[in-house]
Amino acid sequence: MAKYFANIYDTVNTLWKGMRITWRHMINIKRDNVTLQYPEERWPQPERNIGFEHADYNVIRSRLHVDIDDCIGCLKCERACPVDCIKIDTIKAPNRGEDIPEIKHTGTTSNDTRKALVVSRFTIDLSECCYCNLCVYPCPEECIFMVGGPNNAKHNIDYEFSEFDRNDLIYQFAKSITKEQKESLQPPKPKVEA
Amino acid sequence: MTVDMLMDWFATLGDFPVLAFILAVVISGIPLFLVMALNAMVAVYVERKVSAFMMDRIGPMGQGPGLHAGKWGLLQTVADAIKLLVKEDTVPESSDKILFKMAPFIIFIGAFLGLAAVPFSQTLQVVDFNVGVFYIIAVGSIGVIGIVMAGWASNNKWSLYGAMRSAAQIISYEIPAGLSIIVPIMMAGTLNLQELIHYQSGTVWGILPNWIIFNNPFSFIAFFIFFISAIAETNRTPFDIPEAESELVAGWMTEYSGFRWAIFFLSEYANMLIVSGLAVAGFLGGWRSPIPGLFDSGAWGLFWFMGKIASLIFVMMWVRWTFPRLRVDQLMHVCWKVFIPIAMINIFGVGIWKLIFG
Repeated sequence: MAKYFANIYDTVNTLWKGMRITWRHMINIKRDNVTLQYPEERWPQPERNIGFEHADYNVIRSRLHVDIDDCIGCLKCERACPVDCIKIDTIKAPNRGEDIPEIKHTGTTSNDTRKALVVSRFTIDLSECCYCNLCVYPCPEECIFMVGGPNNAKHNIDYEFSEFDRNDLIYQFAKSITKEQKESLQPPKPKVEA
Repeated sequence: MTVDMLMDWFATLGDFPVLAFILAVVISGIPLFLVMALNAMVAVYVERKVSAFMMDRIGPMGQGPGLHAGKWGLLQTVADAIKLLVKEDTVPESSDKILFKMAPFIIFIGAFLGLAAVPFSQTLQVVDFNVGVFYIIAVGSIGVIGIVMAGWASNNKWSLYGAMRSAAQIISYEIPAGLSIIVPIMMAGTLNLQELIHYQSGTVWGILPNWIIFNNPFSFIAFFIFFISAIAETNRTPFDIPEAESELVAGWMTEYSGFRWAIFFLSEYANMLIVSGLAVAGFLGGWRSPIPGLFDSGAWGLFWFMGKIASLIFVMMWVRWTFPRLRVDQLMHVCWKVFIPIAMINIFGVGIWKLIFG
């Protein structure tokens, strides 16, 4: 009989204990909340420590970036790409090495190479990119690179590059150029007479 | 607003007894249905939020007009309701189709009839029975028929198990619930819910309001037995072995979908409202204010009654998101070996108390 009442006392006691725990969690929700409302809130960017010095490590396979002012449109990266995710269109510049202010084209690269071509399109489809880094090596001007790591000075590492629309993963690096501007750069095609 | 009042009023307008009766029932039935639907809407939202907060989550957010424009997920239940209404209504090929279709409505009728006798305030009560307590307990048992019907008609082992468990559980727990509600009935000497509430006016022990729960130690224990049995009767979580997700998929609701399932859901939440209403009327002073004599009249009655019901429903949610499910044998142990003996002692004790202290 004593055990019967001891059991009842035990039950009431432990029930109360459990309810106090959930109550505490409920009123401290502001402090203890673990849910992150993702698109509106994001975690802070974590400190990267991969076990090497950032600057010494060869490459961090993060995301490709192009310094379009240095690009001479040689198409070496496009040919190197094993999945063909880089697409480049070029137009012959009217005068080699001269700036064209209307389309913000700079005539010379930071290595003092005089550009012969205007890059009218430079897209990298990062949904296709396999982060192999093969496009980086052939670049004569070192203008295409993976962000972060040794290139951190040139471009910070991206926290993430997720988009709402898949089409937004196609990054356009060339400066915007209208159709009319494009046509004005191209010399009129000579009419072929039959 | 009782049906009788309406019928008396119709009688002064002309002599059409049958039409007057139908009109009175419809006029008082529609607000009841609205109360039921509104209760389910609010309770589902609160339940989601309470459960989330207790688990350190934040629950539904957004869902406003436009993808992320809403505030605190206030329209979540509306979205749920629309989803349930447009869902496909499936009836299993090998089920007993008539019983399958009838079961939700029988459960709904049980909940709806019970709601009719709940005294929302001094005047807001659809039917003021002189056997109100007995009526609510009796009508509450109709739901079991619907549950067993649903389980049997589904022709599904999980449904049948769930229905059998439900029948065993609800019928068992009606006994301690009934024995505990006898305590206020003995003290007030009436089965009428309004008179029961009228009995609980004034103060007791100096400062406490004269609610039956505070009147003597036996009624204090009786309240808890009644409340726990009420949770068991509404099939809520520490006692949800009839629908035990981890064992029986969804118990007797397994084969239901869409609107029929929504009716089960509605009835479940309405049952919560009814048992809380009975507990409030029987033990917690009904529509009386917690400070005797202050804000104790008119529309305040509705406020106090709904407030007390809301806090009891909140406690039900609190219990649900705290405790794990009981085993079947533990469930029966609690009912037959603990609650019923204590409830019997309570009745005896209250009898002695009444003899000695009046």
